[in-house]
Amino acid sequence: MTAPPTVPREIALAAKPSLGQRLGQLIEPLTLLLPSGVWLVLFLVIPTLLIAEISLVPGLRPGDVPGAYGLGNYLQIFQPVYLRVLFRSLNFALGTTGLCLIVGFPVAYWIALMAPKRWRTLLLVVFILPLWTSSLLRAYAWITILRSSGLLNVVLQAVGIPGQNILNSPAAVYVGMTYSFLPYMVLILYSSLEKLDIRLLEAAADLGANPAQRFWQVTVPQTLPGIAAGGLLVFITSLGDFVVPTLLGGASSMTIARLIYNQFLGPTRNWGFGSSMSMLLILAVSLAIALLIRYGDRNPENYS
Amino acid sequence: MPRNRSLYSPYSRRLATSRRRFLQGGAAALAGMALSNCRQGGVSDVQAPDTETGNGNGGEGGGGSDTLHIYTWADYVDEELTAAFTAETGIQVVTDIYDSNETMLARLQAGGGSAYSIIYPSDYMVEEMIELDLLTTLDQDRVEGLDTMLDQWVSPAYDPDNVHSVPFSWGTTGLLFNRELVSGDPEDWDYLWDNQQALNRRFTLLDDVRETMGAVLKSLGYSYNATDPDELEEAFERLMELRPAIAAFRSFGWEDELLGGDLDLVMSYSVDAIAATLEDPAFEYVIPLSGSSVWTDTLVIPETAPNVDAAYEWINFNLDANVAAQTVERLFFATPNSEALDLIDDDLLANEDLFPPDEILARCEGIAPVGPEASALYDRYWTEVTSA
Amino acid sequence: MSQTTSTQRSAPPAAATLDVELRQVFKIFGPDTAVKGVDLKIRQGEFFSILGPSGCGKTTTLRLIAGFETPTTGEVLLQGRNVSHMPAYRRPVNTVFQSYALFGHMSVWDNIAFGLRIKRVGKSEVRTQVAEALRLVQMESFARRVPGQLSGGQQQRVALARALVNRPAVMLLDEPLGALDLKLRKEMQVELSNLHRKLGITFIMVTHDQEEALSLSDRIAVMRDGEIEQVGTPSQIYDFPKTPFVADFIGETNLVRGKVDQAARDGLKVTTDTGLQVWVQPPKIEIPLTAGMAAVVSVRPEKIRLSTQASPAQPGQNCFAGRLQHVMYLGTHLQCRVVLNTGEHLTVLQPNRHQRLPELETPVYASWAATDCLALAAKSPASELTDAS
Repeated sequence: MTAPPTVPREIALAAKPSLGQRLGQLIEPLTLLLPSGVWLVLFLVIPTLLIAEISLVPGLRPGDVPGAYGLGNYLQIFQPVYLRVLFRSLNFALGTTGLCLIVGFPVAYWIALMAPKRWRTLLLVVFILPLWTSSLLRAYAWITILRSSGLLNVVLQAVGIPGQNILNSPAAVYVGMTYSFLPYMVLILYSSLEKLDIRLLEAAADLGANPAQRFWQVTVPQTLPGIAAGGLLVFITSLGDFVVPTLLGGASSMTIARLIYNQFLGPTRNWGFGSSMSMLLILAVSLAIALLIRYGDRNPENYS
Repeated sequence: MPRNRSLYSPYSRRLATSRRRFLQGGAAALAGMALSNCRQGGVSDVQAPDTETGNGNGGEGGGGSDTLHIYTWADYVDEELTAAFTAETGIQVVTDIYDSNETMLARLQAGGGSAYSIIYPSDYMVEEMIELDLLTTLDQDRVEGLDTMLDQWVSPAYDPDNVHSVPFSWGTTGLLFNRELVSGDPEDWDYLWDNQQALNRRFTLLDDVRETMGAVLKSLGYSYNATDPDELEEAFERLMELRPAIAAFRSFGWEDELLGGDLDLVMSYSVDAIAATLEDPAFEYVIPLSGSSVWTDTLVIPETAPNVDAAYEWINFNLDANVAAQTVERLFFATPNSEALDLIDDDLLANEDLFPPDEILARCEGIAPVGPEASALYDRYWTEVTSA
Repeated sequence: MSQTTSTQRSAPPAAATLDVELRQVFKIFGPDTAVKGVDLKIRQGEFFSILGPSGCGKTTTLRLIAGFETPTTGEVLLQGRNVSHMPAYRRPVNTVFQSYALFGHMSVWDNIAFGLRIKRVGKSEVRTQVAEALRLVQMESFARRVPGQLSGGQQQRVALARALVNRPAVMLLDEPLGALDLKLRKEMQVELSNLHRKLGITFIMVTHDQEEALSLSDRIAVMRDGEIEQVGTPSQIYDFPKTPFVADFIGETNLVRGKVDQAARDGLKVTTDTGLQVWVQPPKIEIPLTAGMAAVVSVRPEKIRLSTQASPAQPGQNCFAGRLQHVMYLGTHLQCRVVLNTGEHLTVLQPNRHQRLPELETPVYASWAATDCLALAAKSPASELTDAS
């Protein structure tokens, strides 16, 4: 056993920055972080903690004297009816994410890699344009398209396909939400595809990979961070959307977002239960983001 | 009950208005909905409402104080009448709008309503707000014209003797249908169950637990405000029977489908239904025989009101028979003011959708608070129905 | 500075089969014509370089062979087959890219196995071949790394292995050593040469580094503005450039512009505007110059001798008076700059024999044998002549 090399005391002391120096090093980042820090604490941390507290008071209504803490609100979520709502919401959100990916990828690919360069910005703007109108108005527009005598069926019947009764069904929700959130997906995929190294595709072609093999073995892995980020954004926003399910989904379109809305602004006004479901959503979303940071957002050039 | 008054602008409710206008009105109003909490000011460039507290004349400052902040439904305040009020009293009126009683209550409870001197809650909400001590007791000496109320509103159940509120408008809930598409005669709620096959996915009910559950309760012979768990369960099961045939639960957004013939029938508030029947004679409105809900919207002064004098001025202005009559003609809801009835256009007065006969009205109930336990049951059943 | 390599390669037999052939290939990008009627015949097993300044169309020519571009007109043949419109992934060629273009999301091993797996080669076969390729480029111990963890030279080796593991008929190398530092480049040149000998397949390399081209290639094509100026062995290109451009681009040279005064069988005389008379004795190859034609005389710096005394005037020897303007010490050589009395500048390279040089600005005589210089036809005087410096 050898003793660890000892450093003379005065050198060890001298090597340490003085208290003043260390304070100085602290002050600069603190000053930079202060505005956003205050903002975050005031408008994110404190409200979230409040929701967390309310969620622990079973059946709390505004104006009530708060009862004892308990997990009643959380247990309530596990009743079959609420689990069904949760499951449907997840279905809507996952389906929308998948559809956005399927529809959005070719579009983003085309804009980023195939469209003439001088048109790209214009094409992107055209794609984002619908975001400038109210989401309610867009959902309303889909009513006129999807209703039995609407535009869709006029077109379908013109080409000899029997009309479909899509409005007021889950299919309409998928259509409406995909339309609503597609621009986000296209934007994120575009910025990811724009950075795609074309030379890698050439290298793959050079090694004998046909277009499909190039897509699955190079394009997709290379743009995986974008796919993950876009998917997560669409997933989170569609999980929280209640305009589209309300207007297009018909009688069986209760989602967790609507359920939460009903608890706060509906006649029930069960803030405790609403808060517990909000906490569940916050938890699910945080988890998804954590997963993205851990596994999704890796620079493929820099694995380690 | 979150009624959506914004669906039709007042101007689209004229008899002569074309169907196209009707549609435009709907879409434009919807766009407005998205901005539902935006201020609709008669006067531009006013201070933010919340700063008014410190700025106003306080409670006892005398008649001619400058600004009155009103929190109300969309399309509930007519601009010309407001202008007349300002001309008469010198008080500027600023209105903010809300889309449901619950939204309004939430804002008040969160402390965001201290600038308002006048609010327009519905009946059951008046009751809740009284319980929560949010409303001032009206100084009866300063209210002129309460004696003109029709019998039903002299001492309404939600606020006996109108101690805290002044009835402003009322209406009913019922069935609006396309005469050319439905078979038989929709007279009562039972029509829905009896014609479930023919109506399959061609009708909507209100997206409001109390209205829709209330209708089912009525069809079973129970009260709109039932709290008995057995009665509620029975109603729930009856609603589940009907559920596969229901296209959607919608309080708004159905007009396109109804006009296009994609819906045969909708459950709707009278104020929306009357607009449709006046547009197109193919549409008829019926208040079901076994009864329905009758709703009242009121004028109240919140506890925190900064400009009480102006609030009384506003209440008295609206109690004036002439003003009340014009309100009916412009905004299409029934008035509880008996004197105003004499001043209303005969065609409108004879419209039974707007002023139903007493024997029908007698079978209707106002929606009243049911307490937390029943309320939780209602919500549970509602979640069951809408997630099945 | 250039050195002709001492290792003179034996030119492949003329009858050898052709691996790659380009026939009158044009490639037009919008308003720009990148390749203008290129004809090339590359024999099997040859190490062939395409050399030229940037923008000369050499990379486009390589991309036409690889299949990343299709010719606007003309034909590309691989082993006798017209592949002009065959997509890259069907062609029996593999490319080493200037940027390496390694797949960052795969390990070194998977990068090299990529081509074999695409071809559905059996698993055990993939294992043996990848291992062999790794051994060939001496990267066995890096198989599990990802490209981001490798140095430039290591990435270069992986890129090589990834291409050659597929046993292509033709290997295409696009500035393969361009991104490496000088020392590494020299090492890799040796390795490339060894690999080529071991594998015996055709290498086509694009480079702007004439030294690299001269030292590695069996034959070189010099390109300029989308056209091929000259094709030949390194020594042909260096010693007998056909055009002033090639003379200037390959190695260093002094170009003296003038007019053919006198053309005889044993030599010709070129006279400049300033009155300088240069004797040129034609080498083995014929130069079609007749009296009255514009010509450029090219003389390599190392062929010129400097002395303080004039050598006696005699046919077959050029000797001009001037003064020494500048001397640069290069270690093995001294680079001198001489201004002739008639105004021409000459660069002269003298071996460093520790001899004493005349003082600066003193009169000197520059002389060279008529057989040591070349007379080339000047096509367009304005653009041909760049001052040799």
